[in-house]
Amino acid sequence: MFKSKLMRSAVVAVMATFAIGSSIPSAPAASKTIELLISADTNVQTLWNTVLIPAFEKEYPGYKVNVTFDRNGLRDAQTFAKIVAAKETRRDPGVDLVDGGIAVRLAQGGLLYRPSPTLMPNLKEVSKKVLAKAAGTIPYRASTVLLAYNSKNVTKVPKTLDEVLAWIKANPGKFSYNVPSGGGSGYSFVQTVVDMNLTADERDAMTTAANKDIQAKWAKGLDTLKELNKYTYGKNGTYPANNAATLNLLSTGEIDMGTVWSDQFASAKAAGTMPAHIKVTAIKSPSLTGGPATLGIPINGANRTGGRLLANFVLSPAMQNAIMASSMKGIPVVNSKKLDQTLFENFKDVDVADMRSPYFPANSDDLKSAWSLNVPGK
Amino acid sequence: MTTTNTVATKEGFAEVKTAKLSTLGFFMALPPVLLIVLFVGLPIFIAFLFSIGYTSGPNRVISIIGQDVYTKENWWGTAQAYTAVIKDERFWPDFALTMVVTFVSTFVVLVMSMGMGLYQRIKGGKIASILSMLSLVPLFVPVVIAAYAIAQFYNGVGFMRTFMAQFGIDFPVITATRNAIILGTIWTSLPFAILMITSGLQSVPNALIETAQDAGASFMRIVRTILIPLAFVPIVIAGTFTAIGIMGSFTVPLFLGPNQPTMLGVEISNFFTAYNRPQQSIVMAFVIFAAASGIAVLYIWANIRSAKQSGRI
Repeated sequence: MFKSKLMRSAVVAVMATFAIGSSIPSAPAASKTIELLISADTNVQTLWNTVLIPAFEKEYPGYKVNVTFDRNGLRDAQTFAKIVAAKETRRDPGVDLVDGGIAVRLAQGGLLYRPSPTLMPNLKEVSKKVLAKAAGTIPYRASTVLLAYNSKNVTKVPKTLDEVLAWIKANPGKFSYNVPSGGGSGYSFVQTVVDMNLTADERDAMTTAANKDIQAKWAKGLDTLKELNKYTYGKNGTYPANNAATLNLLSTGEIDMGTVWSDQFASAKAAGTMPAHIKVTAIKSPSLTGGPATLGIPINGANRTGGRLLANFVLSPAMQNAIMASSMKGIPVVNSKKLDQTLFENFKDVDVADMRSPYFPANSDDLKSAWSLNVPGK
Repeated sequence: MTTTNTVATKEGFAEVKTAKLSTLGFFMALPPVLLIVLFVGLPIFIAFLFSIGYTSGPNRVISIIGQDVYTKENWWGTAQAYTAVIKDERFWPDFALTMVVTFVSTFVVLVMSMGMGLYQRIKGGKIASILSMLSLVPLFVPVVIAAYAIAQFYNGVGFMRTFMAQFGIDFPVITATRNAIILGTIWTSLPFAILMITSGLQSVPNALIETAQDAGASFMRIVRTILIPLAFVPIVIAGTFTAIGIMGSFTVPLFLGPNQPTMLGVEISNFFTAYNRPQQSIVMAFVIFAAASGIAVLYIWANIRSAKQSGRI
């Protein structure tokens, strides 16, 4: 009852927010407060709160970063609506910098400042290919989905997706991936399986625009996923709710293999919640998805200067080193020559520009919906 | 009214005072009414317009963002969003699950709280008080914590399985099943129903029960012909509130239920955020709304009945 009411009123709640917000005078232009919206998991929040923001506030005394945290981007649709509505009504959306997948969506809607090296000098150190991948947003670190496995029980580690699928069938109940709508690691597995039946050109097309014709080719991949129902954890076509649930199943030993985010896995290792015998590997043909984690400066934010200053600061070599050294072991995106070479040693084989991107939002929404129609409980 | 009028004729100011009081009463009742009209009524109305294809005005932004949004084609709108939901393969299993969980859980909750209430009413004593106090504990545990705890208790490495494994029994994993949702909703709805029904049964006068006992009525007969009829209204209220609460539940099915089919509360959220189909999620919300209204009719009927009995109307 409450939830449905909530949903019904969500539309107008957004507008009501603006009706109320409009009576509050907007902050003066030279504001020293930067409104940062983090639409990600808690390890990203920790990175900002313990590493990036303290360093920024030390470097630029007087500035204050105000964080709004939206766990797993559950309220992305509302945030998006808020920024669109603010633009339509020419008001301040209350967001100066966004961290999360929603930034790409905003960029596609023409709601972000195009990042320019003249205003953000540190962008010069980011390769053109990575910038192209970021699609109008500011890449500041990268993460990828990896295959995690229990090294005690998995003797021959799969190297390709076909080998993974064969392993799943040979070891019933020992693999899982989370519901694609609940988190990116499970989503990545689903996209990778349906991508098996798409050509390289079709995969590229799906990352740049909505395309219903190519979507029709998902059927075969979805059938493959449906067949896995008998072999995944529980053997009854149910899947963990989110990224954290998959990590939990791995750490308790209930599953021996699963897809995980590189940064969340590293954070869990650093926190001691992931046993040492759980390891990660990358697979090929096709590889699991990944890419730059990006920032966005809304075109209508009140403190765009502050947003730019903070984004530029995060791209400085010192902060890129700090991201590598942090508990999430973030993958740096700037020219490696500027970085601390001891820290960079772990990442020298990772090429952010070569990572397979997730789909364009409209396609990924459709894939999540198609998965729920065709796979669980069938 | 008659008294006021006679007084008013004697003393001129009393009539004015009554008028003042009624105006005051009106203004005191106004804030909650206005609040509901503005923040619940109006959004529901606008959402309804959106669901039948009115995509301009206040619905413009959401129709730009949402996928598969249907725009009106007739003067009255369009029923396409409704047909899309009805034809969706997820909808009917979800609806069936929601109804099954609602009815099974409400039934079990009512039976259990009747048992508790009767035990306390007939038997009484220290144990009964302790038991009824214990049964209220879930009222003070937030649903999200309770759902997580239940999930931890029954999952693959949960207490039940590890405990049973000591005796060589392979206890089934019941999380991610319909039964787990039923278990969770019973757990969370029980205290309120016990509170309502116990107090309803307590208000039945002792004299009636004792007279029946003296006349040789059996326990079941006392329950059937005295206790239940006299506590009927609280029982109906407990039943309707429990059913409406369960029908719209979100946290328990999200944590404990299968991915698909799921209860409509969860599916609405999936459609709204994950699949970005706001119109369809609103249609589903109206389906729950209609079903809950059906239950609410029972509640109103019981209230009218009790008002008639006490002579208020």
